[in-house]
Amino acid sequence: MTRELEKKFASELEKNQGIIHKVCRSYTNNETAHKDLFQEITIQLWKAYPKFRGESKFSTWMYRVAFNTAISLFRKSKRNIETTQIYDNLKELEFQDYDDTQDKQLKLLYNAIYSLNDIEKALALLYLEDKNYKEIASTLGISEVNARVKMNRTKTKLKNIINP
Amino acid sequence: MSLDQLEELKNVWKNQGESSIKFTESDIYKMVHKRSSSIVKWILIISILEFVLPYIFIFFTDFNSTKEVYQTYDLNNMMSIYTVIHIVVILGFIYFFFKNYKNIQADSSVKNLLHDILKTRKTVKYYIYYNLTMAAIIGLHVFYIVFNSDQFVNKLPANTNMLIIWSIAIAIFAFVLFLFWCFYRLIYGFLLKKLKKNYSELDRNE
Repeated sequence: MTRELEKKFASELEKNQGIIHKVCRSYTNNETAHKDLFQEITIQLWKAYPKFRGESKFSTWMYRVAFNTAISLFRKSKRNIETTQIYDNLKELEFQDYDDTQDKQLKLLYNAIYSLNDIEKALALLYLEDKNYKEIASTLGISEVNARVKMNRTKTKLKNIINP
Repeated sequence: MSLDQLEELKNVWKNQGESSIKFTESDIYKMVHKRSSSIVKWILIISILEFVLPYIFIFFTDFNSTKEVYQTYDLNNMMSIYTVIHIVVILGFIYFFFKNYKNIQADSSVKNLLHDILKTRKTVKYYIYYNLTMAAIIGLHVFYIVFNSDQFVNKLPANTNMLIIWSIAIAIFAFVLFLFWCFYRLIYGFLLKKLKKNYSELDRNE
């Protein structure tokens, strides 16, 4: 029974892993840390899986656990590079009004997200994923009004980082 | 850059290809069996050590000399009462600790999860404060009995000022308790710094 459940879980996760990678890339700044965080999220998802009743979409539920792991449960490895270095990288990449390649803009966006604090990172991701305020508020566990205020602040901060 | 342009960045986000790091179903299957190294796990390990360690130290004390001191100053009854109270209180703390620990769910909201982890750790904080307070009460009680006993007073040179004896005893005792407290704050701060910061960030009403 457990084996079957494990297989079902691994298959569902394999299909939806993109969401977790987005969270990992936003909360870490090197491949090792990315993989470590992915593994911890997988373990936490598996631990919570037997209680997943399908009340929400699998992807919504995954988002929740992934944020929780990144914000509260994951212990960053000492191998991580300090944030200041990311800021330096960011300065090197000047934002050029959409003439640039998609890849470069994406890299810049991820670097900008990485320089936000843990909660703002979650808000930025939820914004980019077009989640509504009800879902944002419920994921973070705050009121919708508070979510709106925090979101506006995060958007302004993100904007200023990308184009100071 | 206007907020509209930020809105346009959503397209860049949505059109991003697959992650360069990708795992197969069998990789994920293997990951499921790996051990978690989450903060909660560390909190559990350290908290259990904090519950258990003080009692391991007792095994390294000299039982006979402790017994002798108890007999000399007639402390046996008093210490038995304190021991019974202490055991009941500790069992209570352990019960609440595990009750709170079991409440920690990785799929609750971010704020609830942070709250539940901090609450679990708070049980240990109160346990440490209880221990320090209890140590202070028992210590002062023992000093009071010992310093007022004939056996102790007779050993002192004539005309010794008892105020000086009390001051020295309390100063040394308070210093030891203070060291324990500092050491505990250090572990507590180290474990919870990130969680507390994130919780207050979420809790702040703007």
